[in-house]
Amino acid sequence: MPGPLLVDSLVRSLQVGSLYALMALGITLTMSVIRLPNFAHAEYITVGAYTALVVSLAVSSNPVVILGLSALAAALVALICHFAVFRPLEKRNPSTYTMLLASFSVGLILRYILFLLVDRFDLFDRRIAVPLEIWYRSNSIILTNVFFWVVPTTLGLVLALSALLNYTPLGREMRALANNFELARVIGIRVERVKSLTWILVGLLAGVSGALWGIYSSVNPLMGWLAILSVFAAAIMGGMSSFVGTILGAYLVSFSENTVMQLLNYYLGLDFSFKPAVPFIIIILVLLLRPQGFTEFFNRARGLQR
Amino acid sequence: MRKMSIVGILALLLLVIAMPASAQDEIETYVLGVAQPFTGPLGSFGTDFSKGIELAVEEMNAELEAAGSNVRFEIASADTEGTPDGAARAVQTIVQTTGAQVIVGPLTTSEVLGAKQFVDENDIVIVAPASSGAAAGIPDDNIFRVIYPSDNFAARAFAEIAVSRGYQNVAILHVDDPFGNGLSESFTADFTELGGGEVVSIGYAPDPTDLTSEATSLSAEVSRLMSAGDTAVLCVCFLADAQKLFQVTMIDPVLTSVEWMGIENLANPELLADAGHAELLQNANFISVSFVDTQTPLSQPFVDAFTEKFGAEPGPFTNYAYDAANIAMLSMLVVDNDGAAVSEILPFVSNHYIGTSVQAYLDANGDQAIARYGIYNVSEDATEFTLVGTYDGSSGELSLNE
Repeated sequence: MPGPLLVDSLVRSLQVGSLYALMALGITLTMSVIRLPNFAHAEYITVGAYTALVVSLAVSSNPVVILGLSALAAALVALICHFAVFRPLEKRNPSTYTMLLASFSVGLILRYILFLLVDRFDLFDRRIAVPLEIWYRSNSIILTNVFFWVVPTTLGLVLALSALLNYTPLGREMRALANNFELARVIGIRVERVKSLTWILVGLLAGVSGALWGIYSSVNPLMGWLAILSVFAAAIMGGMSSFVGTILGAYLVSFSENTVMQLLNYYLGLDFSFKPAVPFIIIILVLLLRPQGFTEFFNRARGLQR
Repeated sequence: MRKMSIVGILALLLLVIAMPASAQDEIETYVLGVAQPFTGPLGSFGTDFSKGIELAVEEMNAELEAAGSNVRFEIASADTEGTPDGAARAVQTIVQTTGAQVIVGPLTTSEVLGAKQFVDENDIVIVAPASSGAAAGIPDDNIFRVIYPSDNFAARAFAEIAVSRGYQNVAILHVDDPFGNGLSESFTADFTELGGGEVVSIGYAPDPTDLTSEATSLSAEVSRLMSAGDTAVLCVCFLADAQKLFQVTMIDPVLTSVEWMGIENLANPELLADAGHAELLQNANFISVSFVDTQTPLSQPFVDAFTEKFGAEPGPFTNYAYDAANIAMLSMLVVDNDGAAVSEILPFVSNHYIGTSVQAYLDANGDQAIARYGIYNVSEDATEFTLVGTYDGSSGELSLNE
């Protein structure tokens, strides 16, 4: 495979991997603190993307404004879902399967509400009004404004999340909740408050990732759902509890879908139509060989597993 | 008292039995199945198509009543969800619950092929108003694709344009489904037959999250082909996929240095709303072919009736569903509600039906054989697509005024 092609592929893997990481962090956070493998996360991402689209068309094309309002909208939706569905359900002490099913249902309802609105206002397959600009060009690499937003935003949010978890009272409460729910309640942690704040945090992450994903590609009501398998694959690699593991998983999934797929196509002639199978193969391999994901490697170092 | 009651009931029964036949002659109802995607990404098409069919049935029933006929049509609908499995389930449900023998729909070629086995085995007739994939062009089956022509015509138009523009090689990026594969294969065969050079096809899975690796591979293939002569890209992608692709290709030095062709749904002003995409298409001398609707005596009455009934103008292609429903109902009126008989008579009825946009006429595969295409490129100010030529599928005549 020619060198420039490989370099180009690696750069694009880094960009897509960063987007996956942003999406997957929210899932890991939900799983750790709320103990819910939340499939409705896909729709929080879509809500973020559609907010970005509407803001870019009607309010401002400033990326900071777009990302900020998208994050707030998705956080609001996540909080509403928590109060309307997940919290009342939790009081009945449901099994994980029940909660999983509930998250599927919430996601489905949100998706079809989006379909109705999108159809009503003719917003299928639209581009967020943020132009793509080349910010760096060399012989083998071209980097755009989106690359320079996505990668630093991901790293910045991961650092901010780490700081929040490690150095703030809320972070300590969240970690306590993640480690032992009953003990956290007994020692006086306001569990409901922590959960609500966690949902806001999850929504903010989903909103930002949705807006960036929308700027990178295009916006339609299925975009979050179509990405969610790759995103879950990344979270599973992180054992659904380690942030560093999740980020590493996201880059690995993206690298597999892009660079590895490209190598397989180039050398073995494997058709790109097999690309959607890559996250499934990764999930099955991880579940078979290392069900705890990368958590073990990081359980003393990062994230909620300390 | 009890005796009186029994006598009364017997008298009533006798009265019913003795009634003249005309008074008992109940309305005979034919069920017209409607299998369309009411949910999912194609949901808005399915909903609009369903309204077009509803209008056709309402008009037909009114005419039948006025003519004193005792036949009436009623609709039985089911959601295909836009998938092959969903289409098979929808058709099966309609047939098994209502006894319908004729189905209008489904929408896409994948859905049509999904339902094919069931309809073939049970002598059910499918009248598909908008399926065009070459893969469903099969002779002697019960699938009729009226009004909208097969993609074989569009593939031929692209091959003629490619030769006319002097392309020696073509790289195709296509969705890996019956529609994309069919168009890609037809184009390759036609381009080769017309003396073209190498054609490379890169398929991608439907509903992609990202087309990064495919774009990189396309770039590498185009780079290789360029060394052997003028090379162009043919994009057989849906709108959302094209938007994802263009985000990558617009900064690719190889892919921005060649000319592009693209299928009908890419001649969409929405693509030009993004300044970067508009610039890419304009610089690439982008060209697209699109099936042309013509005005017939039925065009405006359909729009007026639809608007009056539903309070809004019909959506894209809704008139095709209206026409398909009329062809199906006329066929049933000729031979009764019998799938096998409808299958025999439908080509004759179709070939004598003036549609709302084009005269229906079927080929040996039961597919629309009259196909006129407009050829479009990006206007100078990159705000719209303008007509620069035509292609007549029946005669193979290309007229290009670039």
